[in-house]
Amino acid sequence: MSVLRASNITKKFPGTVALDDVSIEFKSGKVNALVGKNGSGKTTLMKVINGAYGDYSGKLFIDDEEFSFTHPKQAYEAGIATVYQEMSLIPGLSVAENILLGRYKKNGPFIDWKETYQEAQDILDDMGVNLPVKAMVAHLSVWQHQVIEIAKAMSVNPKVLILDEPTSALAQSETQMLFALIRRLIKKDVIVIYISHRLQELWEIADTCAVLRDGRHVGTIEMKGAKHADLLSLMFGDLKLKRRPEDIVAQEKVVLETRNLNREPFFKNINFKLYKGEVLGIAGMLGSGRTELLRAIFGADRPESGSILIDGKEITKPSPVLMKKMGVAFVPEDRKYQGLVQILSIKSNLNHASLDLIAKGLFVDSSKEAEFSRRQIEDLDIIIPGENYPMTSLSGGNQQKVVVGKWLNIEPSIVIFDEPSRGIDVNAKQQVFQIIWDLSRHGLSSLVVSSELEELLEICNRIIIMKDGEFIDEVNPDTLTINELYGLCMGGN
Amino acid sequence: MIEKTLPKTAKRHTISQLSKRYMMEIILLVLVVVLIVTAPGFFTLRNILNIFRNVAITGVISFAMTMVIIGGEIDLSVGSSIALSAVITATVTGKLSSAGRMPMESAVWIGMLTAIVVGALIGLINGLVRTKYNIPSFIATLAMLNILYGISAIISKGFPITTLPMWYNWIGAGRFFNLIPVPALWLAIAFVFVYIIMNKTTLGREIYAVGGNPEAARLSGINVKFVKIIVLVIVQVFAAFSGIILSAQVMAGSSTFGRGYEMDVIAAVIIGGTSLSGGIGKAWGTLIGIIFMGVINNGMTLFGVGDFEKYVVRGLLILGAVLLNTIQVQSLQKVKK
Repeated sequence: MSVLRASNITKKFPGTVALDDVSIEFKSGKVNALVGKNGSGKTTLMKVINGAYGDYSGKLFIDDEEFSFTHPKQAYEAGIATVYQEMSLIPGLSVAENILLGRYKKNGPFIDWKETYQEAQDILDDMGVNLPVKAMVAHLSVWQHQVIEIAKAMSVNPKVLILDEPTSALAQSETQMLFALIRRLIKKDVIVIYISHRLQELWEIADTCAVLRDGRHVGTIEMKGAKHADLLSLMFGDLKLKRRPEDIVAQEKVVLETRNLNREPFFKNINFKLYKGEVLGIAGMLGSGRTELLRAIFGADRPESGSILIDGKEITKPSPVLMKKMGVAFVPEDRKYQGLVQILSIKSNLNHASLDLIAKGLFVDSSKEAEFSRRQIEDLDIIIPGENYPMTSLSGGNQQKVVVGKWLNIEPSIVIFDEPSRGIDVNAKQQVFQIIWDLSRHGLSSLVVSSELEELLEICNRIIIMKDGEFIDEVNPDTLTINELYGLCMGGN
Repeated sequence: MIEKTLPKTAKRHTISQLSKRYMMEIILLVLVVVLIVTAPGFFTLRNILNIFRNVAITGVISFAMTMVIIGGEIDLSVGSSIALSAVITATVTGKLSSAGRMPMESAVWIGMLTAIVVGALIGLINGLVRTKYNIPSFIATLAMLNILYGISAIISKGFPITTLPMWYNWIGAGRFFNLIPVPALWLAIAFVFVYIIMNKTTLGREIYAVGGNPEAARLSGINVKFVKIIVLVIVQVFAAFSGIILSAQVMAGSSTFGRGYEMDVIAAVIIGGTSLSGGIGKAWGTLIGIIFMGVINNGMTLFGVGDFEKYVVRGLLILGAVLLNTIQVQSLQKVKK
């Protein structure tokens, strides 16, 4: 049996302490889960262990032998393998080529394909999975990709295997297959660290569960016999919640409604109503279908069936062009790739949604264009070096405000926010919330998705719980604690 | 009020930054000065005007191509569009006048109109293939390049068609006041047209957005497909017009016209600082690129450089110019970060 021990690890970033004197142990022969809400330091801890961060204080040991890496490659070669959420496979290559990438069996200057395939086959056999080694990765399913990722990690005979949210992209049946695989792996002398957001899984797969909160290791519990509430209170402690201002209230009028909206496998049978002036939250974990739902409502992806009604009028062929005309705005989750044209100026980005409104015939009314840009910069207090500077000159929070400002220029009646506070600092977050509330005061409705569930509790009038592509519950944030909300979203007992 | 913090480099316009910004202009200026000093007969009004006449055929298309490339697309078929347009104009003129239905002088108008309409249709096909089936325009227009050469050879049966009226020669070879070449006027019109579209119209704003980040543009409610189709149509209309200019210069339509011109067209755009990855570029830059190409060719002719050697020199100069430009863009981006 081997043990990975971290002792007194502290890792600071400018302005924050990401890990604060963390001491923790992970043993082989069992599945060691690591949980904590967003920003609790899980990822940072993993990156300290796998060499991505060199500048930390404290010590790391495997079986009382100290180690310290400054580059992930060193850690990898020393037997610390990480399987990330994002796949790192090359789709055009075969299974065997991906597993042994760069480490092919050679025969002189040539690749010995027979040996290479055999070695890949041996690794897969050893894991007890059945995959065609010559198949092209692009033709396989997500679950098979995950297996290949793990096989790739196993091919270096690791001492430590870190699995970062391995089930987030998997369907239920695939998750079961993955668990079976993990159970086989722990019989070897491998220390498996399992990071997950899906709490209910932990009872099934994990033996112990270490909890991080605000960069501190607050406890490790044995999963056998542990109660749901115990885990949640470890994760959240006594979290003080901020509440929204009292004057944020929904009116009677329905502005948006969906009826049996479907886009399998992402979501199915979605029915809800959004009222005038309401801030409606959709809470769900990663992979619950929440982003896909928002995109479908905005027409970015075509739903398979069902209908969307705006002000009671059915939209038969939703598209971003049409939804914009109907007064719907969309602030996407990925500001960099979906929200902004980074190389263009702040002024042009602020006008991208409102080009029709600043047009005089075919031409741009440049005084109006300048006014539209100035208006949002002032109203939203966007801090810029100059409006002709490219977006890249702005901080995350200010970039986010530009995305919001771009949409406010069309004077929308509904604003869809996907992760409005992702990657922006605490101050900017509060400013974005203020904007959402101000919109509500002016009779605009907002539909908000966030991974930070406490944010939803803070800003929303009403929260719908989404899980595995379906709406499972609807709650009132005024009478709900954060633990209860996480419990509902993650499921479990 | 939060204190407004500015990046340190924000308001500095040092000489080195200005020189980076106007790199291509400076290179062109140096080239011109060198030629003035060394090349006999370079710095005469007639020679300078001739440079503009010589670059007009590809230059007109370069301006439209600037819009296409800023919009994140490319059109490789413009070379053969020149041939097709010339052949169509001459053929239609010939058919209408030989049957005695109308005099050649007016038949040529219908010939030109037909060529322009066919050009627009080709652009529409390129655009639809690109947007409807999501085939990269590089591939779609490469195929179109071959198809159009074939069609123009089939129509002309491989021979030049010369049934064109005398006045038509004015379009490609005429001179105002016996001095300024008419094609220079077409070049100027193309420049002004593209300049206005890119700087003054909402379509221009959309082209920049679509080329800079198509997904963000789409999610801003911009009709990305429409924008892509329209630029691909405009470039083909310009190519058809270039075919008319060339056929007027030569007083014939031939399927051998325009071979390889697409590369000169694109080279001028890239030399002018337009990014092949889209979103960045200016009509002004392309003007500089066109003049640069024209001056190089002119200088080599004056020095009596052989045709084969010309290719090598031109290729090296294009590479050098683009290299300098790329280094400049990269260093500007570093400043921003």
